[in-house]
Amino acid sequence: MERNVALIALFAALIAALGLIPQITLAFGVPITAQSLGVMLCGTVLGARRGALAVLLFVLLVAMGLPLLAGGRGGLGVFASPTVGFVLGFPVAAFVTGWIVERWRGAPLTLVAGVASALGGIVVLYAFGVAGLAVVLEKSLQEALALVTAFIPGDVLKAAIAGMLTSALARARPQSVLSRADAG
Amino acid sequence: MSGVSFRIAGKEILRGVSLDVDVARLGVVGRNGSGKSTLARLVAGLVAPSEGRVRVNGKELAADRRAALSEVGILFQNPDHQIIFPSVLEEVAFGLGQQGMGRREAEAEAREVLARFGKAHWEEAAVAGLSQGQKHLVCLMAVVAMEPKLLILDEPYAGLDIPTRRQLMRYLGRYEGALLHISHDPEDLAGYDHVIWLEMGGVAREGAAEAVLAAYRDEMERLGARDDISDLAG
Amino acid sequence: MISLTSPVRTWAHGWPAGLKLAGLCAATLVLFFIESVPAHLAIFGAVLGVYALPGRVFLATGMRRLRLLWPFILVVMLWHLWEGSVAQGVAICLRLLSAVALANLVTMTTRLTDMIAVIRWLAAPLRRVGLETRALELAVALTIRMTPVLAEKGELLSASWRARARRRAGWRILLPFTLLALDDADHVAEALKARGGLGN
Repeated sequence: MERNVALIALFAALIAALGLIPQITLAFGVPITAQSLGVMLCGTVLGARRGALAVLLFVLLVAMGLPLLAGGRGGLGVFASPTVGFVLGFPVAAFVTGWIVERWRGAPLTLVAGVASALGGIVVLYAFGVAGLAVVLEKSLQEALALVTAFIPGDVLKAAIAGMLTSALARARPQSVLSRADAG
Repeated sequence: MSGVSFRIAGKEILRGVSLDVDVARLGVVGRNGSGKSTLARLVAGLVAPSEGRVRVNGKELAADRRAALSEVGILFQNPDHQIIFPSVLEEVAFGLGQQGMGRREAEAEAREVLARFGKAHWEEAAVAGLSQGQKHLVCLMAVVAMEPKLLILDEPYAGLDIPTRRQLMRYLGRYEGALLHISHDPEDLAGYDHVIWLEMGGVAREGAAEAVLAAYRDEMERLGARDDISDLAG
Repeated sequence: MISLTSPVRTWAHGWPAGLKLAGLCAATLVLFFIESVPAHLAIFGAVLGVYALPGRVFLATGMRRLRLLWPFILVVMLWHLWEGSVAQGVAICLRLLSAVALANLVTMTTRLTDMIAVIRWLAAPLRRVGLETRALELAVALTIRMTPVLAEKGELLSASWRARARRRAGWRILLPFTLLALDDADHVAEALKARGGLGN
């Protein structure tokens, strides 16, 4: 029990810390914000339930007024802004990602984690995000989608990185990838 | 360095520090919180001073990162906060790749460094399975592989048991370049050419090791009799 | 970690957080049913007036938070200018600004401890699963405590990379960083058990 609480809290802290430290650069010198990558990792490493709880805790803390989102953003204003869908979708994204990694055992972990991150962190997340955008800005879903397509390639790259990180983690310390470690 | 000040979020960590040193074995002593680690980072070029200039061998390393890699290497306190890669070979080869070597070349050179330390059998070892002292050694090898002219050690013996400390000391003693050793423990710096005593962000005293360390030891004993541990910082 | 609560004390700081939150939900809901531009202008003006009451510092902070929305305002206005429905565009922008401003107002006048109290109150119905709420409070405290610790370790790793590289850290640094988080979780769990644990 203590272990679960500790893991959830620490990974929520990890997402928060990723918002605090400066951007990470990709190979071609393109800076990315690592927070959504952190959300994907919560899913691939902790699994569906713990991963989602960790991200949910993070969102809760943001709601309570801590400036934990990248760029020092936070507070209730975030939930009234156009990005509210993305923030609310984070925990669901982590859950879906974790669920896929836990269930899909047949293929190499890099692929599984990468695809899971893409399905959770892009497909599901953007579904929520685009819906939120559409409501707040009074646009149709297609119009809202058009507004965010520019960000998708970057997130695809992040999903790939999440895949590689997860398998590197499994190689470095096999018991660390908890989504695969225990029975469920 | 001349007239160097360093501030983080308005708090002055170093104040008007001016040093001009040219020795093989330089020690920096001081209490925790005196600004020693910041000094280390300034010399390594990891941070730039808020005021003043820092030059190593005439170069300003904060700006010229390329030169920095061959001028200065830095070893931090806790190997768990330093080692980036899961295997020993990768970790040692990393800096070499950054210095321009191709992958095969870097790995070959890394193997050679391991052999020089008598650790050729560590090549495939996973960092996770190493002891604290062994991890310290990996960090040392990773930095030494880049052959920096100046090696900065920021409290390298922290938390090590006596045998490990002695062994590490031996490896460091053999280092051919210059050493800048930072410690709060004067024992580590005995026999050094020049010692700087940092106190609350400024230079309290500098000079020959024996004199400075003796004065430092006396002052520390005196403070030990007091109770400034009760004082809050803010 | 510094929260977004304003150090400038206002009378609103003393109001019960639950009431403020409920009021905010109601207000935001109402805002979404209002369509006319003059109404939104009046509302936004009133909100700005409320921000001005505690003084310049408070107002300045509030404005800074609103400024973050400029990309959306820009996109919406350009869109509606293009489509020839400027009035609607203005209404959307004003509503957005008012909603966010009101929400931030609650955040700026509510202390973290009061927010935690609200969470505790909301979680009360779940008290049939009694232990869960204690775990939640603990988790909140732990995360707040550990975020700066992890951030600092991240900085150290980053420094270790930069000390040996020409450019800043790449994605690979997330590997040791994640391992650090896992290790910290183990240490914390141990410390928790040593001090009584959570039972179960």
